[in-house]
Amino acid sequence: MSDCQGLGDCDDTRMQRIYEYLDGALTREDLTEIKQHLDTCEECSEQYDLECLIRTMVKRSCTESAPENLKNSILDRIHSIKPVEA
Amino acid sequence: MTLVKDRVVLPELGYGTQPESRQLTVDLATMSTTEPAAAAMDQAAGANDDAVAATDVDLATETTEQRRERFERDAMQYVDQLYSAAMRMARNPSDAEDLVQEAYTKAFSAFHQYKPGTNLKAWLYRILTNTYINLYRKRQREPLQSNSDTIEDWQLAKAESHTSAGLRSAETEALDHLPDSDVKNALQSIPEEFRLAVYFADVEGYAYKQISEIMNTPIGTVMSRLHRGRKMLRDMLADYATERGFRAHTEDQAAAGSNNQEKEK
Repeated sequence: MSDCQGLGDCDDTRMQRIYEYLDGALTREDLTEIKQHLDTCEECSEQYDLECLIRTMVKRSCTESAPENLKNSILDRIHSIKPVEA
Repeated sequence: MTLVKDRVVLPELGYGTQPESRQLTVDLATMSTTEPAAAAMDQAAGANDDAVAATDVDLATETTEQRRERFERDAMQYVDQLYSAAMRMARNPSDAEDLVQEAYTKAFSAFHQYKPGTNLKAWLYRILTNTYINLYRKRQREPLQSNSDTIEDWQLAKAESHTSAGLRSAETEALDHLPDSDVKNALQSIPEEFRLAVYFADVEGYAYKQISEIMNTPIGTVMSRLHRGRKMLRDMLADYATERGFRAHTEDQAAAGSNNQEKEK
């Protein structure tokens, strides 16, 4: 897909690096290195932007409110049971 | 390239082997996030915004009523979040409600095992996940939707038929116009282990280690599920965008004067 090998020599490796960056799973050293790369490589930074967008979309779409009555149902249930003593 | 990850994982209990909530004891004190990868972490949807429950509680002398009050005060604030996660599991509102209610009931019964000061929301998520796996899904009497080792061939073929280069910045714009319902549908259509890993990472911003503890899988498995899940999700979203006519510029279209970039509302 890419002539850029700055983050690895195949798409999978490159995407894995981008995911790790996105997920905050890198050491500070690697983080700096990837950030520098993204700052200069248009192709990789587009991939990164896209992953950020998808993440934002997922977050937005999956943030739902529970139905009004659910909280009350739960409270009713836990008031009707006796917890195990420690 | 060194990943910060802790190889010490919980015993591999696997799906469907953990029968009761009393076995849910887990030291969530160890569920701290990995090396705070400053920039990325900040961008990546605050993982550390969980309120930490009050620690000034003496579990030995706490009465049932006090524990109930503490549970209501500390745990009930996460009902919306657990419901959202349950929707990703059960995939319909009625079953999601049942699931959340069941998980809260179990959590309350096991609340004496929760260690104050540790991540309560993650603890609840783990109970929710276990409840789903052990109780709800059995009740459904449905076969496992799929698992990591037996992904449907078509899904793999599909994932592999697209290269990551299938999407470009113009398509970033196209995706941005997709309604929430498309995003939910796309997520719902990928296998559940992948879906839940993506949910915990993207919505809750949990670190790999935390996800591995919530889902009871090794960190490496979490990473591969995330990788493949995101790829599937991305391909699916690209398909939705195409179907809706949110087409990105291709070189041909650009040359033709870009009249094809219709955005149907």
